[in-house]
Amino acid sequence: MVIELLTKKYPGMRLWLAQRISAVVMAVYTVLFGLRLAIKQPAGYEAWQLFMAPSWWRILTLLFFISLYMHAWLGVRDVLKDYVFNLKLRVVLQTLVDVLLIVYLCWVSIILWGN
Amino acid sequence: MQKAQAIKRPKNLNLLTIRLPINAVISIMHRMSGVVLFLIQPLLLLALTVSLSGPDGYAAMTELMQHWLLKLMLIALSWAFFHHFYAGLRHLAMDVHWMTSLQKARLSSRLVLCLVALSVLIFSIVIW
Repeated sequence: MVIELLTKKYPGMRLWLAQRISAVVMAVYTVLFGLRLAIKQPAGYEAWQLFMAPSWWRILTLLFFISLYMHAWLGVRDVLKDYVFNLKLRVVLQTLVDVLLIVYLCWVSIILWGN
Repeated sequence: MQKAQAIKRPKNLNLLTIRLPINAVISIMHRMSGVVLFLIQPLLLLALTVSLSGPDGYAAMTELMQHWLLKLMLIALSWAFFHHFYAGLRHLAMDVHWMTSLQKARLSSRLVLCLVALSVLIFSIVIW
């Protein structure tokens, strides 16, 4: 029933929910990041590399960035809708943002698994 | 007659005369900090790339971070982060109907401001 509510009747609810879920994912990751940083206190390149190395951590980090860019997409979209009244200009800006976010996500994957 | 009245109706969109209530201040700052965090993404990814590129990149990055101007910028960014974080948690709380009365909303707004100030202060002390 909830699924039906989210997909058919109120499609906007999906975006609303995506914004919230991505926010929660980021909040949890941030706290985890802070805790790990406080516990391990990586000093120097080797320690920093080891900090980012575990597979489970890379996957969580990718999940964090996916959430971040989904969240940013929704947020920037609202901002553009509120302040950019010229439709053509808004479409151009929104497309630019879309492309940028996809590039960022590729960049993140290269950072995490590139070597 | 009615038309003339409609035309004469005053607009009050002068930003200098509108006094925003604290909840609105939190809200617009949430939006502003969100935009800032979006705009600095390339810098964040660049820093991550360079710091993980090898010992030389890491050393260059740490040296750069020692500069006082960069530390000031980091502190400003930490404000954007902490504000977006705490104000976002406040929004989530309101989504599940916590603190939705006017009085409680004002209280949680003040709480957000205090937590942000405290977090930025701790962050500044840690990096300096």
